[in-house]
Amino acid sequence: MKKLVALVLAVAMLLSLTSVFAEEQKVITMWCIATESDANRPAYEAAIAAIEKELGVKIEWEAFENQSYKTKIKTAMSDPSTLPDIFFTWAGAFCGDFAAQGNVYCLEEAYKDYADALPAVMLQNASYDVDGNGKKPYAVPLTMNIVTLFANMDLLAKAGWDHVPNTYEDLIKCCDDLVAAGITPFGCAGSETWCVTEYLEPIIEKTIGYEALNKIFAGEGTWNDPAIAGAVDKFQEMVTKGYFAADGLTLGNDQIKANFIAGNYAFYQNGSWNCGEVNDAEGNFQVALFPVMDAEKATYGQVIGGPSDSLAVAATSSDPAFAAKVAFELGKEICHYGYLAGSGLPAWTPDYDTSAVKPLVAAVADIVAAADGMVLFGDTAMSADPANIYLDYVSKVYGVEIDGNGFIEGLSATLQ
Amino acid sequence: MNENRKFTFSTVLVHILLIVLVVINLFPLYWMMTFSLKDNDEIFGGYLKDDAGKAILDENGEKIPVERNMIGLPRTWRWSNYPKALNTGNMGRYFLNSLIVSASAIAITLIAAFMATYAMTRLVWKGRKMMNKFFMLGLTIPIHAALVPVFMILSRMKLLDTYVALIIPYAAFSLSMGILISIGFMGDIPYDLDEAAFLDGCGVWGIFGRVIAPLMMPATATVGIYTFLQCWNELLFATIFVSKGQYMTLPVGVQQLFGQYTTDWGPIGAALAIATIPTMIVYALLSKRIQAGFIAGAVKG
Amino acid sequence: MKRTFTYKLSIVAFLLPALILFIGILIAPIIMSVIYSLNDFKAISGSDMTYVGFRNFIELFSPELVNEKGALYANVNYMGDALLNSLLLAALSTFIQLPLALIIALKLSKGIRGERIYLSIFFMPVLISTVIIGRLWMNIYETNGLLNAALDALGIKQQVFSWVSSKITSTKMPFQGGWTGYKETALLAAFVPILWQYVGYHMLLMYAGIKGVPADLLEAAQLDGCTEGQVNRHIIIPYIKPILKVCVIFAVTGSLKSFDLIYTLMKDTRRAELPSTLMYKLTFLNNRYGLGSAIAVVLIVLCFAFAMLISLAFRDKGEKVS
Repeated sequence: MKKLVALVLAVAMLLSLTSVFAEEQKVITMWCIATESDANRPAYEAAIAAIEKELGVKIEWEAFENQSYKTKIKTAMSDPSTLPDIFFTWAGAFCGDFAAQGNVYCLEEAYKDYADALPAVMLQNASYDVDGNGKKPYAVPLTMNIVTLFANMDLLAKAGWDHVPNTYEDLIKCCDDLVAAGITPFGCAGSETWCVTEYLEPIIEKTIGYEALNKIFAGEGTWNDPAIAGAVDKFQEMVTKGYFAADGLTLGNDQIKANFIAGNYAFYQNGSWNCGEVNDAEGNFQVALFPVMDAEKATYGQVIGGPSDSLAVAATSSDPAFAAKVAFELGKEICHYGYLAGSGLPAWTPDYDTSAVKPLVAAVADIVAAADGMVLFGDTAMSADPANIYLDYVSKVYGVEIDGNGFIEGLSATLQ
Repeated sequence: MNENRKFTFSTVLVHILLIVLVVINLFPLYWMMTFSLKDNDEIFGGYLKDDAGKAILDENGEKIPVERNMIGLPRTWRWSNYPKALNTGNMGRYFLNSLIVSASAIAITLIAAFMATYAMTRLVWKGRKMMNKFFMLGLTIPIHAALVPVFMILSRMKLLDTYVALIIPYAAFSLSMGILISIGFMGDIPYDLDEAAFLDGCGVWGIFGRVIAPLMMPATATVGIYTFLQCWNELLFATIFVSKGQYMTLPVGVQQLFGQYTTDWGPIGAALAIATIPTMIVYALLSKRIQAGFIAGAVKG
Repeated sequence: MKRTFTYKLSIVAFLLPALILFIGILIAPIIMSVIYSLNDFKAISGSDMTYVGFRNFIELFSPELVNEKGALYANVNYMGDALLNSLLLAALSTFIQLPLALIIALKLSKGIRGERIYLSIFFMPVLISTVIIGRLWMNIYETNGLLNAALDALGIKQQVFSWVSSKITSTKMPFQGGWTGYKETALLAAFVPILWQYVGYHMLLMYAGIKGVPADLLEAAQLDGCTEGQVNRHIIIPYIKPILKVCVIFAVTGSLKSFDLIYTLMKDTRRAELPSTLMYKLTFLNNRYGLGSAIAVVLIVLCFAFAMLISLAFRDKGEKVS
């Protein structure tokens, strides 16, 4: 018992001591999802160490598991006093809800110091019209990502192809050749519906154009468009023709990705955050975009994606202006280290030596630089309830439970 | 009874059937242990690789094919899967957390159940039968039904991401069973003892503390087992109420580990084995007591 | 003992810890759930709560809804299928798992050699975490998992696949080996590990009951020349009726509220949706707190109703027998 009391006293003294020391420098608290197992962990650690040194600030950060973090941050919003100074958020509707509640500090002023390093277009996904005075930025983007078509050139060569097909007709021909050669063209994790959207969204975008799709995701356009039904049917045709791996319905994305890297599928369409991993794998891989379906409405350079992983500043922060500065500096550095590690593309213009960037990552960065238009991932752009209804329909399409007409009729009636 | 032990055709048949069931019962565990010591190339058939995952080449520089070995004993015993699983996730920590949470929940359940049972069976007052029925409502209430409100209560009390966030709900949901079992056990304690202690000058607290509680020791094992079964494996509350690795319990921790090794069956098997083996060892040592305790619950309840 | 004020105070004090726990964590939340279920809100704090009456329940039980333009559309939050699934699970548990447990318990309790070892092995899976069992079975059900490897080894993989394909109506795709990926197979696939884990639980409960049958009753029956089957039917089973009742209640309510296994076994629970998985999805992914609470209320009502019904069923028969 005496030992216990002594221990408690010692701990209490230690705590009070550290708080005395801590008062000498500014402390910024932060929540994020870079847990020890997260691919971005090293980027966060390096960035935080650099910023602490540069600004003489102490960053007290905690990392939470992705799925439970969503609940945690939503809960904290109902009692903003529990929020840290800086918190991780996704752009689109997720952060938009928080901004609309008045819990997020507006970054319009702080951005002025960083306008040179961070293109204004990168802030668009997290810009909201909260007070009716036009859209203003509310979150600092870290890296950005787009949907990328990864191709295993060794397998394509076996089917007699030396390049990634760049028209839809060629792609179908290529798939037929692959199937004839006994090679599965695509891998897609049907048990994780967001992976299906990585295929379906580019097909829809390349059919109706990025402006029309952006409007639909923003709730301003209608799903009830025969062109969308046609796109969905074309995707479903690829499924029923056996272009997709048979184990797709039950396997998770990690497994599908590992299968692709191991040379089981010719193509894998997923986020560009996989670039680093695919780049480091044995074999000859290339990156490309899904071909155009309707040349009248869409161009090859229209992509799905954009900056989403972001840091926001709580309106309740005791020194929001300073926290905003820290958030921008952190965003820039996390982007820097993340880009070099290949876990994302730079939302910030690089001002460092990029020669060490992995070739595949650099190739996607070039695609982004030449992009004609962008549509943020549907489930990020939409708020939770409609996003999950949308995912439910996408899942039914991949399971061939409904066709294109069922998709547009169901979604337009449900989400109108 | 002795004739049943005779060596007859029907007893042989019964034994064969029981042994088939034993095999069905043990096979998944055996399988888990074997694939925890293999790599994917051995499980699915591939090429021989070293521990670092590099293909081993033969003298001609060709990869050496491995025959598929899904259910057999490992050809190469890859113990390195175990440190892999231990180092990535914080299995030791998760185990300790599960222990802390379960043990605390058991302790709270025991104290609250014994006290309430004492009040409802040894003390005389109107409405004690009603009170008992009230507590028995808890037997059928699904734990999930309280999820959102309990979450809100915990969040308002700033208790999320603490041990308490799991201990208190677990204790509450084990309480009804605890009381049900305690009533059976306490009924076996003769009332004469209460009387004698009363005549010796003990008050109600004295009787409870000096007479009833010591005699309830056998019930602690039984209530403990039922509470343990409820807490040790619980997933939903543990997923929602705790998001910091520091307080995660074993089921949530193991679930997280799957996320990193979805494709490598070896380390997954190792993680599964690490999470299972300690419980199995305790069970092997105490199986008689655990079963006796469990059975006592069935009979007394 | 006198009923003094301090005596009354003691009663309250003895009950207090249990009452605080029970009311604070069970009763109050359930009342809150009922209130929430009559409201619509999307902030978990409930700051934007609006009273909607029974609309949440109507939404849960309508396979189709009508939008503002009067058009019908399929309701993605429809609870009917989930409810049917959980009832199917309850039926499977009651009519397959419990009889199996009873047969084993009857055999073991008659003093068979190695009784203790059998008991220990059959009870063991109860102690393994459901998360672990779920992951283990995932490896069994995968396209290149143990089950398909076994079918392949037996040389019947193609026949089984085409037979399963002919039974699948929810999708136009043929069965390709992912046992948890099809509506027709997913629930059954989930039932097998549940059966595997809990047979031992019920078996031990029943075994305990059978061991409690007075020896003279059994001896008298044997002297009368009863066969083993007759003893089982006319003496043992009626005697352990209270325990059988408890087993049935546990099996049914357990099925209604089961969550862990499906949640671990499948990344996408849509193909074997249960009320609890739907509740998790609506509450924590879609932020439909009112709708999720309505499922909670339906579950509570169902659990109580089934517990009462089962008790009634057992009481009637019990009176006829004795």
